[in-house]
Amino acid sequence: MSATLEIDALVKTFGAATALDGISFAVSAGECLAVLGPSGSGKSTVLRSIAGLDVPSSGRILVDGADVAGVAPERRGMAMVFQRPLLFPHLSVLDNVAFAATVSGQPKSEARADARQFLELVQLEGFGDRSITALSGGQEQRVALARALAARPRVLLLDEPFSALDPELRADMHSLLGQIRRQLNPTIVMVTHDRDEAAVVADRVALLSTGRLLQHDTVERLYTRPASIEVSRLMGGRIELAGEVRSGVHHSAIGAVLAPEGETWADGPGMLVVRHEAVHVSTLPVEVPPGMVGVEVVVADRRARGPRAEITLACGDGLLEAEVPASRPLAVGQSATAHIPRSACTVVPAP
Amino acid sequence: MSLALVSPALLVAGFVVIGGIGMSLVQSLGLLPLVGVPSLSLDAYLANGEELLIGTGLSLAIATASTVLSCIIGLTAAVVITQGRRTGRIVAAVSALTIPIPHLIGAAAIGLLISDAGIIPRMLGIPGTEWPDLVGGPWWVAVVLEYTWKESAFVALVVAAVLATRVARYDETAALLGAGRARRLRHVVIPLARPAVIVSAIIIFVYTFGSYEVAWLLGRPYPEPLPVLAFRLFDSITLTSRPEAAAVAVVTTAISLAVVAIGMACLRRTPLWK
Repeated sequence: MSATLEIDALVKTFGAATALDGISFAVSAGECLAVLGPSGSGKSTVLRSIAGLDVPSSGRILVDGADVAGVAPERRGMAMVFQRPLLFPHLSVLDNVAFAATVSGQPKSEARADARQFLELVQLEGFGDRSITALSGGQEQRVALARALAARPRVLLLDEPFSALDPELRADMHSLLGQIRRQLNPTIVMVTHDRDEAAVVADRVALLSTGRLLQHDTVERLYTRPASIEVSRLMGGRIELAGEVRSGVHHSAIGAVLAPEGETWADGPGMLVVRHEAVHVSTLPVEVPPGMVGVEVVVADRRARGPRAEITLACGDGLLEAEVPASRPLAVGQSATAHIPRSACTVVPAP
Repeated sequence: MSLALVSPALLVAGFVVIGGIGMSLVQSLGLLPLVGVPSLSLDAYLANGEELLIGTGLSLAIATASTVLSCIIGLTAAVVITQGRRTGRIVAAVSALTIPIPHLIGAAAIGLLISDAGIIPRMLGIPGTEWPDLVGGPWWVAVVLEYTWKESAFVALVVAAVLATRVARYDETAALLGAGRARRLRHVVIPLARPAVIVSAIIIFVYTFGSYEVAWLLGRPYPEPLPVLAFRLFDSITLTSRPEAAAVAVVTTAISLAVVAIGMACLRRTPLWK
């Protein structure tokens, strides 16, 4: 169930439009990769190309080192779960899960016994004899997952499988997926437009935009070490401070920021980016802790967000963003000190 | 309220269908004689009892053969169309071209092509005496062939529309679960196309069962299928045989309605219909 997957310079054009422009990444056995990107970024085309449903214009797809070009979808050993469950309406729940075994020629009783184990895995034991019309949306997607897993895919492909579910069910499905990974350790490629989902489910993320791979990295590094301003913005980064790196130190409206331990920044113009979650706001006079940068700021704006509040902090021309508990009495116009950990800072090329 | 909105359509359809069937029923039961006193009797049904029985059998056979062949060929064509290749586009174009050609023209063309003096035996250089009796022969081959030619195109387009819109994603899913083309056809495509095929089959059966001109042009003078028998009796110089024609029409209608009922029952049992 756990094959390695390698995508090498994948290009797909539809007429004059380029959907994928030289995508390359590798997924190791048992890893879960999230292909993340906004609509139209080409992420579903990547998945359909891996599955063999779309034929790439050029480039290679290697499964366990072997090129799968020209191999029909049914021989690739990939199972896919789509946004819609697409359960076969003429089959019972159990026969849906037993589908792969049935079409591979296994006797019906064996196929069904096998399918029961997978129904148990997705916590739907006893649902086998039901018609698929008697299932809720979340249950349908569980059955779709069980059906895909029962095919023992070399790579499990998930195409926004949980995006049609409500947040609570989605969280349930995420923990189910985690449990399945612990038990069966399948190689998974999951397409999603939801960066929180990618962060919860995946080990690594391939971030796509307009058919290009912007960054292939761990979730944490994608947030804290974006490779470009585009990555930072797509990951929801809100702080961008234009400036210049001189002798490894970035100078901007918030002053001089030294590169984190073990990292160097190339000299020249550069944009300092930092996550707003990393910014601490203090109204009491405290000493700047080691490894932090202290910035005197004025609260420029405050927006209520339920239990939290988003605040904009002005420091000369530069603007910082931070999130604080809604109960903190930080009013517009109030002075404060913002503490930014140096380890959270990154400089990306200026756009 | 909704009933009020559809009432104009219902009135027109009801006037023709219920009025027509009602009149035939009344006439066939001797309640609307041309001359004399109306009296309830089954005479009109019994007058041509043997012909009515043989005609029923013959019409059922022609309609069944045409329906089964049309469905098999049409389903195959639909699968070819939805493969999306060049052959598929050609089959789709041929099917679409077939639809607007009237049955009468089709029947005339089939007659010109495959009768013992037709174009095909001439091109093949086979003398008419050695050519099988396809037109006007004992097996009603030309009649079934004409119906199958036109109705299979109908099935192809109806089923292809369903396959392309409703079945394509299921087909992909099945492929990714390791099902090859033949398995997908058997386990996914055919079961999911079943409602469309059943609906098409009902329409074709009822049409071919009640159609007059093709059987009249390409069939033999005796025995007669029900519509031919009904029209001959209706058109007879003996005006008193009108109730007999009505009796044949009533039998034809009754069988058609029974077939529709059976078809709808089958349809309701398919899982996709629910």
